[in-house]
Amino acid sequence: MKLNEQSVAHYAMSGSPADHEGFLRRCSTPGGRQPAAPRCWFVLKGNLLFYFEGQESRPPLGLIVLEGCTVELCEAPQEFAFAIRFDAPGLRPYVLAAEEQEAQEAWVKVLSRASFGYMRLLVQELEGQLHELQLSLASRSSAPRSQARASAGPPPDRPPPQPEEGGPSAETEGDEGAAKPPAPVGRRRPAENWACSPACLPLNGGDSPVSPETSCFPKLHDWYGQEIINLRREWLQSRALGGGL
Amino acid sequence: MRYNEKELQALSRQPAEKAAEIGMRVPKKGSVVKRRLVKLVVNFLFYFRTDEAEPIGALLLEHCRITKEEPSGFSISFIEEPDRKYYFECSSEEQCQEWIDALRRASYEFMRRSLIFYRNEIRKMTGKDPLEQYGISEEARFQLNAPQPTGIECRKEEGLLGRAEISPNSFWPGGGGGRT
Repeated sequence: MKLNEQSVAHYAMSGSPADHEGFLRRCSTPGGRQPAAPRCWFVLKGNLLFYFEGQESRPPLGLIVLEGCTVELCEAPQEFAFAIRFDAPGLRPYVLAAEEQEAQEAWVKVLSRASFGYMRLLVQELEGQLHELQLSLASRSSAPRSQARASAGPPPDRPPPQPEEGGPSAETEGDEGAAKPPAPVGRRRPAENWACSPACLPLNGGDSPVSPETSCFPKLHDWYGQEIINLRREWLQSRALGGGL
Repeated sequence: MRYNEKELQALSRQPAEKAAEIGMRVPKKGSVVKRRLVKLVVNFLFYFRTDEAEPIGALLLEHCRITKEEPSGFSISFIEEPDRKYYFECSSEEQCQEWIDALRRASYEFMRRSLIFYRNEIRKMTGKDPLEQYGISEEARFQLNAPQPTGIECRKEEGLLGRAEISPNSFWPGGGGGRT
């Protein structure tokens, strides 16, 4: 099975922040052929754990994808060992040993939270919290943004038109024009999504990277960016009128 | 670089965020568009022959660039060799756009930036760090001032660079007045 190895190695060596790094000793490998290996320099980036021959050596010797696995302390000939075990049958665990207890604990902590799913749940949760905050703010004050919004036009992330086109669209428009966050009301709460597998999230219209039917970060960004663009346009116009350049 | 194929194969069997049979051409000389089952699972895009259970290959979607290709296709290229493109052909413009949107959000780095953005916004609105309740506010990967990769992210998706820094507090409904 192929992998875009060159790009993966490039990512491993790029300047993007490492989430954790340090020396670990490999007590065994999935092949199981090697006895205790010399210590390697391990770098965690997102859900990928890379290992290098030494702290400065490039490119990486190998990659462990931290999905579908659990990380736990374990017994091994070496002190301060822990294992990365995969749920799928036939996959041997990686047994690694840190150099001291503190490092061992730190590694177990970060590795067990490294999966994409964990990150997605967190983002989803915060997205939901922010949404709630926006709603409560919007219900308290609605005036400040309405004027700006009117000139900016409807936010680009408006949900698709409702089936009942003939409905009270003017009223809906009015509502949208108020200082409401750019997310459809009545979205599912993140808590409900927790029970559902990641697969069902984006299939659900793909509106958000993390939770369906929600405005997501890039949309919010674009939406607020729209106002900046409009302000800049106005400013440029006024400068052109007044200054002659 | 060593990696365990079986781990990736196991991952490829996980529920997909998005999957479809579309045309695909790998960046190899003389390569033609072939029908492939393409499956997005976390930040990996797997591709399969339509009659096989195990994937032919996988693309890690970090530091990549998703580009719209005419008429209804898109391509994936990676930062270190931008001219080397994996080309995909969709059956409609709509399908193409769905894939582009999904793929642009598929990276861990994107998730990280989103998290930092939401964390920062919530902290500005409430004065409290939302990550404290989970006991993870100290983790390096969630820090606002973590060094940002330069010149990379902005290529991947225009406008992404510096989002965490230029978060729009002053343009937020209610602005700073919402703080309690």
